[in-house]
Amino acid sequence: MKLNWFSPLPPARTDIAHYTKRILPALQEQFEVMLWTDQAQWNSELEKNSDIRHYHCEQMPWVQLNQADLTVFNIGNNSDFHSSIWQVSQQHSGIVILHDFRLQHFFAGLYRDQWEDREGYMEKMEFYYGKVGREAAYEFWYGNLSVEHMSEHYPLTHLSLENALGIIVHSRKNLQELRREHRWPVSYIPLPYPAVERSTIARIMKPPYRLIVFGYIGQNRRLDEIFEALAVFKQRERFHLDVYGELWDRSWVYNRIRSLGIKHLITLHGFVSEKSLDKALSIAHLAFNLRYPDMGEASGSQLRIWDHALPSLVTKGGWYEDISEEAVAFVHPGHEIADIQAHLASFLDNPARFAKMGENGRQILEKYHSPGVYAKAIAAFVANMNVFLSHADTQYLVSRVGAEMSYYTSEEMPDEVLRKAAQEIYLMAVGEGK
Amino acid sequence: MRILIATTQVPFTSGGAEIHADQLRNALIAAGHEAEIVSVPFKWYPPERILDHILANRLLDLSESNGVSIDRMIGLRFPAYLIPHPNKVVWILHQFRTAYDLWDTPYNDLIHYPNGLQIREAIRRADRQFIPEAKAVFANSRNVAKRLRRFCGIESTPLYHPPQNAEHFHVSEAEDYLFYPSRLDPLKRQALVLEALALTHLPVRVCFAGIPDAPAYASELKDLARKKQVHHRVEWLGFVSEEEKRRYYSRARAVVFPPLDEDYGYVTLEAMLSSKPVITCTDSGGPLEFIRHEETGLISEPTPSALADAFDRIWDNPKTAKSWGEAGRELYDSMDITWSNVTERLLA
Repeated sequence: MKLNWFSPLPPARTDIAHYTKRILPALQEQFEVMLWTDQAQWNSELEKNSDIRHYHCEQMPWVQLNQADLTVFNIGNNSDFHSSIWQVSQQHSGIVILHDFRLQHFFAGLYRDQWEDREGYMEKMEFYYGKVGREAAYEFWYGNLSVEHMSEHYPLTHLSLENALGIIVHSRKNLQELRREHRWPVSYIPLPYPAVERSTIARIMKPPYRLIVFGYIGQNRRLDEIFEALAVFKQRERFHLDVYGELWDRSWVYNRIRSLGIKHLITLHGFVSEKSLDKALSIAHLAFNLRYPDMGEASGSQLRIWDHALPSLVTKGGWYEDISEEAVAFVHPGHEIADIQAHLASFLDNPARFAKMGENGRQILEKYHSPGVYAKAIAAFVANMNVFLSHADTQYLVSRVGAEMSYYTSEEMPDEVLRKAAQEIYLMAVGEGK
Repeated sequence: MRILIATTQVPFTSGGAEIHADQLRNALIAAGHEAEIVSVPFKWYPPERILDHILANRLLDLSESNGVSIDRMIGLRFPAYLIPHPNKVVWILHQFRTAYDLWDTPYNDLIHYPNGLQIREAIRRADRQFIPEAKAVFANSRNVAKRLRRFCGIESTPLYHPPQNAEHFHVSEAEDYLFYPSRLDPLKRQALVLEALALTHLPVRVCFAGIPDAPAYASELKDLARKKQVHHRVEWLGFVSEEEKRRYYSRARAVVFPPLDEDYGYVTLEAMLSSKPVITCTDSGGPLEFIRHEETGLISEPTPSALADAFDRIWDNPKTAKSWGEAGRELYDSMDITWSNVTERLLA
């Protein structure tokens, strides 16, 4: 089967780019893959085994796109990386892999920051959330509501899925939410991450114990709560916190660290190479992977943490909800500072328990998150493509019939016509699968 | 019997399909039945309109009219042949080819649309689902039947019919030209004929009759003829009346007909009725069901040089050409290509 795969590609600074690179060999065992990107540059290593097609979404080569049997769109929350992908997906139906469930960040970034299309944004918000949505959109546009508030109350998930033939999600919670709608075929497949053979040299278990936070660090990563917890923790001198990755507001973070008097306990490394980050993870003792509010995403970062058999503190909720307490230590929203301090104390009391937690995480990774399993699961899901296509046609025709029916105002509108239309739409959808 | 012929109408366009439906109706009436044509308008762009039209046709009820049963419905063209009827027979002129054999060719428009693939699958699904509703499935030719089997897994029976005014075709003394009557269209490959003409050793002449689907295409062909320096050996007749067309057939040295994968090909039969040999190509589809190489004509590779050789051969051997033409007429007569055969099969 020929597969179009739309995704950010390395060196784009998003884990979804790395995710594509990680699973590509396994995908290629199942499909003939064509990678599509709007990036000016991509990691040339990818070209060794893949065809890569560059595109501009205003001038899509539909002929080439239609040569494949199926198209997959990877949708995430960063409009810098997913804007073109989403725009193409709105015209050409395919399978959407939803990396984030709450997509207000994405659409706000697109409509407000890129397009400056206030009316377009407000129209969409009204379409999905009514007048309340429109009003909230207005307030948000002019800075009276935060993007976190918007994300919590108006996730705009459906806007990314309107043209989807089927959806793949990486969390059971998202699966349940979408299945409730009975609108799309949905599959849950655990986020893949290849477990790498790691050195068996044990971490040096003596202070200062290395705490680590990494990734694209926005306000939802609870960095302030971590700082506060550390600042008043009695035995704080036994820890050192390394922060890797881009910060949403570097100067605010720096000033905060200074004001809390913990400058000597923290190093802001900024964005580093993958190799450097791996090295840092291999010597760290405890990772912070807090997210609140969460965007409904599965955590590639968590898998990377487990790949290093590293114990971690995670926020209870979202994708993390179902993880065993044998593999992570939970922090509860609204109680972060107290929970963090309790875990730090527990770590000092029994570091071996936390080390075991890391090993348990590694086992989960190996068992459930292999790229081979992931690619096979995609193949199994898309084997039902005909069903997905007929489903999409049904949706379209139902909308068309509904639009026509709206012209009839009489209640004696022929039920027979509706019944016949429904029956014929069903037959057209069932096709040879009857 | 009361019989409806269900076909598709593209407003302001008329061609072989309309003639076919008219002739079928006339043949059914001549056989003593009541027959009428129901033409459903069809617009295929943007592609999602096709879904609308499929549904619209499926919602039609042609089981009776004015309280009286319609005994049989004969569906001819997509999507009209999808109309439900308890006693339906389908005689497919051709399926919606851009969803099938023309998908991955320069002659396809559907593939250029963002939702082209989705609509292609919808068309295929509709054909696979609803064609087998028919009591019997016939195809215009073996070529159309082959496509139906290949893409939809549906078996059908080829059913040939005569071209319009078959009884009026005749033969006359051959003059020095090859005749190619067909609308001017890339799929008909008039351009290939011009390229071949440029490579002949002998002063072969070709008369083209027909008008272009797209006016600019006629200019393109004329420019090509000039570029290949064969314009003085080509005559562009444009539109010709049926009577004129038969006259040109009757006096031709041979008929040229090298389209790409033609569904059926009236031109072949008209040539045979005129006792003229036919030059066609190995990938021309329908014509190959009637032409016997070096018996009733020549089947050439679809290249300019191979076609040029065929032209020279016919040009250089007028007696052989004449005998091949006569053999073609005998073959036609032996094949029972008659409307009585058609009506009998469709109403069986």
